[in-house]
Amino acid sequence: MSTDIQPDPTVIGAVSTPPFAVAPDPSSLFPIRARRLRAYAAVSPMKPYLDFVAGLVDAQAETVALAPAAIPAEQVARATEFGMPPLDRSALAADPAFTPTLDILFDAVAKRPMPEPAAAALARLRQAGDAVRAEIAGNVLAHAVPVEALAEHAFMAAGLEVLATRLAATLDPKALRPVSETAVCPACGGPPVASLIVEWPNAHGNRFCACELCATLWNYVRIKCVSCGSTKGIGYQEVEGGPGTVKAETCDECRTYVKVLHQHKDPSMEALADDIGSLPLDMLMREGAYRRAAYNPFLLGY
Amino acid sequence: MNMELSRRAFLRTSGAGLAGTTLGAFGFGEAEAAVAAHVKPFHLANTVEARNTCTYCSVACGIIIFAKGDLRKGEKADIVHIEGDADHPTNRGTLCPKGAALLNIVKSETRLTQPMVRKPGSDKFEPISWDAALDKIARAMKDDRDANFIAKNKDGVTVNRWLTTGFLAASATTNETAFATYKVVRSTGMVAFDNQARV
Repeated sequence: MSTDIQPDPTVIGAVSTPPFAVAPDPSSLFPIRARRLRAYAAVSPMKPYLDFVAGLVDAQAETVALAPAAIPAEQVARATEFGMPPLDRSALAADPAFTPTLDILFDAVAKRPMPEPAAAALARLRQAGDAVRAEIAGNVLAHAVPVEALAEHAFMAAGLEVLATRLAATLDPKALRPVSETAVCPACGGPPVASLIVEWPNAHGNRFCACELCATLWNYVRIKCVSCGSTKGIGYQEVEGGPGTVKAETCDECRTYVKVLHQHKDPSMEALADDIGSLPLDMLMREGAYRRAAYNPFLLGY
Repeated sequence: MNMELSRRAFLRTSGAGLAGTTLGAFGFGEAEAAVAAHVKPFHLANTVEARNTCTYCSVACGIIIFAKGDLRKGEKADIVHIEGDADHPTNRGTLCPKGAALLNIVKSETRLTQPMVRKPGSDKFEPISWDAALDKIARAMKDDRDANFIAKNKDGVTVNRWLTTGFLAASATTNETAFATYKVVRSTGMVAFDNQARV
């Protein structure tokens, strides 16, 4: 008689067992992002900009084919031991893949139509030496961007996104641990661009923050400020009459907001693309009491 | 001039407005202005998501209550949706059929919102004040206890039992409330008692 099969009523139904972190897939991330930007472009008054960024993302997709660099195992182990993110942001500009990645990306971008100021910024970047590029990269990673060179820095951010995403994809997401009480990327230590309420086979209605730089997703408690970690005074604002898929999560403690994307209502949503596409929400929020805390190199100034 | 850019104050200091954004710097100031013109007629709506505990049973599942309008901002709030809290360790986002129907309880026309009494011989419930209701309950309990309290059993052993009344308390209480309820009810000699504090 077989007695192996035991009924286990506790697993009936779909109970959420969300992973702490989900590593990015560079080969699908950028095509999904570009498709989403074009979906916004089809219905948005800022179609020219959305098409331009989508083209930039297409160029990023062409760049990911470069052989990925790997983070040394001992660096990962040491970071894990001391509660630090294993991907060293400050070392990105010294990575051997830094210059080739940028060259391929910028060459691919240069083939696309763009306004004169963008083309001029791209030309300056293509001619820039390693030292200038490293300085620009440092500014982007420090979120201290000089106002007269926003375009160069946004192009550089696109290159750094490719590099960081490729590196983060080599990390084992099961080995990643929280590095902060607030929303800080467990892979690279960066801030989120937005957070997603997901509907996955193992995560129903859980919230994941999306890293702007390396596109790692990590689980973060809902109704909690991603900027300061407070659970008090959290509210949500959305454009009246909208589908309720993009909301600004406002915090009365630190007076900031970061967008929450209800991906369970629209599976085609992608954090960075939807943050750009929902610029109208930022424009309306600008009239209110909360300032934007999310970092998005393509929406600097909001 | 390096400065932190994700700050709305920056736009004001930059003066030129649109030039201080990535869109402007790339040469898409026209598209940016088009969005700004497009959003003018639109308004923002406040919504609230609040954590709470399901009131049904002692499992005490976590729930998230969604409302339109924010009381903290002086608005009227209207509950529009209730779902299981995916972050709650007890139910991890799931709800039983009763919990899943919580919104219908909130909105139910027959929902009990005040104490009601059906007087002897009457066929309908009518409203009663909390004070009058509690007085009535206390009177009935005292009379019943006086009539049916068992101080000693037939062998003469002191038992102090009160078997003719039972007490059921709610699950959505704190430990302190549950402790006080237990002490009050047990000290009267009541045996049939459940304050649903088993979890």
